[in-house]
Amino acid sequence: MSYRPDESTLISYLYEELEAKENGKVEQFLQANPEEQKKLQQMADVLGIIRHVQDKEVIAPPIFMDDAPRTRSVWMSGYFKTVVGIAATLLLLLVATRLIGPEIRYSQGELRISFAEKKISPPAAQPPSGLSPEQVQEMINSSLVKNNEAIAAGWSETQKQLSLSIRQNLDLNSRKIDGLMKDASLASQDQVRAFVASMQSDNLKSIREYMQLSSAEQNKYMEGLLVDFSKYLNEQRNQDLQLFQARIGSIERNTDEFKQETEQILSSLISSSGNETKKQSSYE
Amino acid sequence: MAGTLLDIAMMHSDTLITRAREGDKNAQGKLVQLWYKRIYNYGYKFFFDHDLAMEVAQKTFISMHKNLPALQDVARFKSWLYTIAVNYCREELRKRKTVRSVSLHDLRPGEGEESYRWEESAHRHENPEKQLRQSELSDLLQQCLMELSEEQREVVIMKEYEGLKFREIAEALHISENTVKSRMYYGLDGLKRILELKNITKETIGYEL
Repeated sequence: MSYRPDESTLISYLYEELEAKENGKVEQFLQANPEEQKKLQQMADVLGIIRHVQDKEVIAPPIFMDDAPRTRSVWMSGYFKTVVGIAATLLLLLVATRLIGPEIRYSQGELRISFAEKKISPPAAQPPSGLSPEQVQEMINSSLVKNNEAIAAGWSETQKQLSLSIRQNLDLNSRKIDGLMKDASLASQDQVRAFVASMQSDNLKSIREYMQLSSAEQNKYMEGLLVDFSKYLNEQRNQDLQLFQARIGSIERNTDEFKQETEQILSSLISSSGNETKKQSSYE
Repeated sequence: MAGTLLDIAMMHSDTLITRAREGDKNAQGKLVQLWYKRIYNYGYKFFFDHDLAMEVAQKTFISMHKNLPALQDVARFKSWLYTIAVNYCREELRKRKTVRSVSLHDLRPGEGEESYRWEESAHRHENPEKQLRQSELSDLLQQCLMELSEEQREVVIMKEYEGLKFREIAEALHISENTVKSRMYYGLDGLKRILELKNITKETIGYEL
């Protein structure tokens, strides 16, 4: 019992595609190997399950067929077009070079391609001889010295002008103060008194006017205040009176209603007692 | 019934293929009508994507139209057609691996908005609820298929859904019949494990349906 079917044989057995003899051998093998049989059964179950996958419905698109394939001329082939293109380019280049006349030179590690006639370039102007670093330094130094001298000259001039103007201002101010001091010392005692008296009288006059004005305004304000207060009191009294009248009126109405209700109740009581006595007498 | 008639027509389309090969446009159109659904469904099951399946189906039939005159043996038309489809599927898969993109078709609507899933079914007159459950189960199983390797998926789809014989699959994939069977074996074994992981069994499916 060394027979062991391979995977392809087992699949053929599963799909029942084996010949009878081979089929019998596999069956014997499976009977002897329940595990393999179980595995094959599970595979059959898997087939049963995956057959539940449904087909998708699809509509075939309309067919638009072109005519029978046309024989493409050699002129239309891609290769031909490429070759002709390259040839045309080369021809163009040849014509252009013939017309322009190119010149290619190689000398001293330098490749030169030029077109048309060779141009004789004029001799280049001799570049000016360069300055040495010492000369440049010297030039810088001399210009710096000149600049410093000019700044120093300008500075001393400005300083002189400033000191002169300050001195002039100081002199002018001191002269003004001296004049004022002289005027103050010249004024007499009487003049001072007269000035103070006139100031006092002026002040008194202004204060008096102010007091008069303020008292008049206060009077006017107080009068207005009293009038407003009396009006307010009158109005308040009127409102209170109206309120009292309204209250008294409502009390009167309530009383009347109460009276009417009482009378109605009494009349209904009287009428009901009358009926009861009538009924009793009729029963009797 | 319509499906059966279509199958019969597909099985006996040798004359049609011969005429199409000779340049009969009408026969070519009929071939497309006959095989379009099958090739689309092969692509759909391979990618689980409508747009890619449409792309593959269209390319396959354009290629068929161009290369049909070169087909030597009419009897091998089926495997020849699937060879073209398989090649385009592999090409699209390579593109997808390099360019990551999300199809709008992948953005499936929510559960409450899935009425189109039974509306698109051919058996619309049946119980819509049952149809919806079948459609959901189909999608779930399709997801399981997508977890298989590319090679195993090709074989399983061709055998189980496209009904190709092992010989035809071997011809389509240019491999030996034993290799096809071996891939089928490991594919089923892989599916068994995937279904176990997702707790999908005969019993649960019977309960669902």
